[in-house]
Amino acid sequence: MIFNSISFVLFYIIVTALYFLLPHRFRWLMLLIASCYFYMAFVPIYILILGFTIVIDYYAGIYLEATKDLKKRKQLLLCSLVANIGVLVFFKYYNFLNTNLSAVLHNFSAQNPLPYLSILLPIGLSFHTFQAMSYTIEVYRGNQKAEKHFGIYSLYVMFYPQLVAGPIERPQNILHQMHEEHPFDYTNMVEGLKQMLWGLFKKLVVADRLSIYVNSIFDHAEIHNGSSIAIACFFFAIQIYCDFSGYSDIAIGSARTMGFDLMTNFRRPYFAKSINEFWSRWHISLSTWFRDYLYIPLGGNRVPKWKQYRNLFIVFLVSGIWHGANNTFIIWGALHAVFTIIGLVITPFTKDVHLKIGVPKPLVDGVRLLVNLTIVTFAWIFFRATSLDNAFTLIKNLKTFGKAPFLGDSVSNFGHCALAIVLLLVIEYKMEYLPNQFNFFRHPNMVVRWGSIVTMLFALLLLGVFNGGQFIYFQF
Amino acid sequence: MLIFLKRLALFILVLVAIDQLLGFGLRQIYFSQTKGQYAQINQAVNKVEADILVFGSSRAIRHYDPAILSAAFGKSCYNVGCDAQQIPYYTALQDVIFRRKKPSMVILDINTWEFIEGSSKYEKLSILLPHCRQHPELIPYQELSSPYERWKLFSQVYPYNSTLFISANNILLANKIAKDENGYNPLRKHMTPDEVEYTQKLLNQSQKDDAEKKPPTDTVAFRLLHQFLNNCTQNGIPTYVVISPKLAPEIPNVRKDQLIEIVKQYKNVKFLDFTKNDRYNNHFEKFADIFHLNKEGAEEFSHELVDSLRTR
Repeated sequence: MIFNSISFVLFYIIVTALYFLLPHRFRWLMLLIASCYFYMAFVPIYILILGFTIVIDYYAGIYLEATKDLKKRKQLLLCSLVANIGVLVFFKYYNFLNTNLSAVLHNFSAQNPLPYLSILLPIGLSFHTFQAMSYTIEVYRGNQKAEKHFGIYSLYVMFYPQLVAGPIERPQNILHQMHEEHPFDYTNMVEGLKQMLWGLFKKLVVADRLSIYVNSIFDHAEIHNGSSIAIACFFFAIQIYCDFSGYSDIAIGSARTMGFDLMTNFRRPYFAKSINEFWSRWHISLSTWFRDYLYIPLGGNRVPKWKQYRNLFIVFLVSGIWHGANNTFIIWGALHAVFTIIGLVITPFTKDVHLKIGVPKPLVDGVRLLVNLTIVTFAWIFFRATSLDNAFTLIKNLKTFGKAPFLGDSVSNFGHCALAIVLLLVIEYKMEYLPNQFNFFRHPNMVVRWGSIVTMLFALLLLGVFNGGQFIYFQF
Repeated sequence: MLIFLKRLALFILVLVAIDQLLGFGLRQIYFSQTKGQYAQINQAVNKVEADILVFGSSRAIRHYDPAILSAAFGKSCYNVGCDAQQIPYYTALQDVIFRRKKPSMVILDINTWEFIEGSSKYEKLSILLPHCRQHPELIPYQELSSPYERWKLFSQVYPYNSTLFISANNILLANKIAKDENGYNPLRKHMTPDEVEYTQKLLNQSQKDDAEKKPPTDTVAFRLLHQFLNNCTQNGIPTYVVISPKLAPEIPNVRKDQLIEIVKQYKNVKFLDFTKNDRYNNHFEKFADIFHLNKEGAEEFSHELVDSLRTR
């Protein structure tokens, strides 16, 4: 069941209504059953995998809290991490590792005895696995009390709004909310619904519209010229942002209508002026996860410079691998590592550069923004490409820039793409630079407020793509 | 909660009222078009009463000249092909047209790729959504893409989803749009050397893909073909299933074998294959692009088709 489907609309209405109709003591149970149903709408049998890791982590948490012996605590944590990472590696990386092993053995004229498994990746596996791991790590560190209520712990992992594509929550933020009673709150309900509407707009009007053009270029990289590829790359940068942040908005909004406060996952990342800033705005729940559980334990930036760069490289490489079992994601991660390190190296020279060269700061910021957008967009080529060959073909053909671009199967679709991007940019620009002006959605005058919501709803109906399919990040 | 529910009810009322009003306006805009794709579809769905009907995709619109067919058989002819459509569209359209008037001959231009599994051919049926209000028999076809289409049609605006740019273009630039000739819309152009080079690359790639990939067949599409042919046979209409000329000869595939087997099951239905034909294969001068003959090519093909039909 995907957020941009009628089935989800029906599901959401029923679950939210039931949530407020039921007494507090039954709500967790209803939400857990609803979340199981939501997950089982994809591949029912995979609920067992979730069940397996939930049981392991639940008991790991309880024993971690009860045990004072550091060695035993480490063993318990290790047990939980191995179970979670083991499931992740088996389902997500087994075939990838196996293929690479075969290639290595082939060089030594040996045969790989391991079979290729035709297994379907459990939806959102990387997300709920990481959320589960953050629980045991926080209990181990003593920042979080172990959850005694098995149902509530299960709901922490399975809470349907963020089950399949995040935000990857921390137990400190969400677990206590599962216990608290959330009475109906008008503001939460209305603001949550507005956020869901904005998410749907990003997904249906922008992301799915752009995907039509993007797919037509990326899937036939060999025959397209540089202008078409450049447009497709730019469109993909917008598409993936709107696809993923749109999902996050729907997740956060739907949770908010029930009184749950999920963490912010995106803060208009393409307005970032450096790669470092980009990562503080893009997929925040994942980047902070890596910061807290990998980068800082490796030493973070309180180490010699070369070690800090090494740490960054490791984090981005793991982040690339987290996204998918393909060399393209590894390259994507490595590119971001290189860009970030270069950014850190040149920061002392670029600080206050507008004063040094005597140009207005907004101009320098604008150039930085464009440069950042360009390098992020370039890296997306590897993220979107189906293989390294595909990526290199795209890059090679980028050189043939002079010719007129292909406008897609229909010029009308291209017009819709342009309109969608303009609408998005105007709204995001207002959010970024004029947060207290033109707040039509929260305007004191009801006609203006309702008018803006109605306009957005009809924009969805008139401009949205209603058969765009799944969210890109579901595959991770 | 009561305040919220009251406001929600009021908001829904406002929404429904605006939906009706906006829908009314969009309907006027859509049905007032006299040129372009929507006008052609409107003509096909609501007005065509010709004796000979040509069904098919963009290849049908570009390849079959009704004037040539009409002159050869002494009957009126109309080309009801539609860009980017496949067998679900032809079947839905046939259902609507046959309720109004039964033709005396049907030509169905088909392509074997229409029988490759994939949902897009059903999703593209959304082009008929504006006609569902007047022709509810189209709704079951819409449900081939989603079981909720019937419910979405409660909105009067939804049927006009994604039509804005095309409608604006058809109205504002009506003078620049060529008027079709009984549905026939030939491509009056020849490929430039650059386009020939690009097309050759594209052909090589697609032939490589076809040879490598063995995509699964779409059983629903074959069921719809059966329905189309059955409807013709039951009404005693001579029907010709035609694969019109292609730039490169088609690689043999199971879908074509299956298509031929299906055609054989119906008396009154004949199969004509022009894909392996030296007069068209690799004759770039007769094509406007990789898929479509240009006007000269289309006229030559229309005459050749008439000769073939006469000998049958």
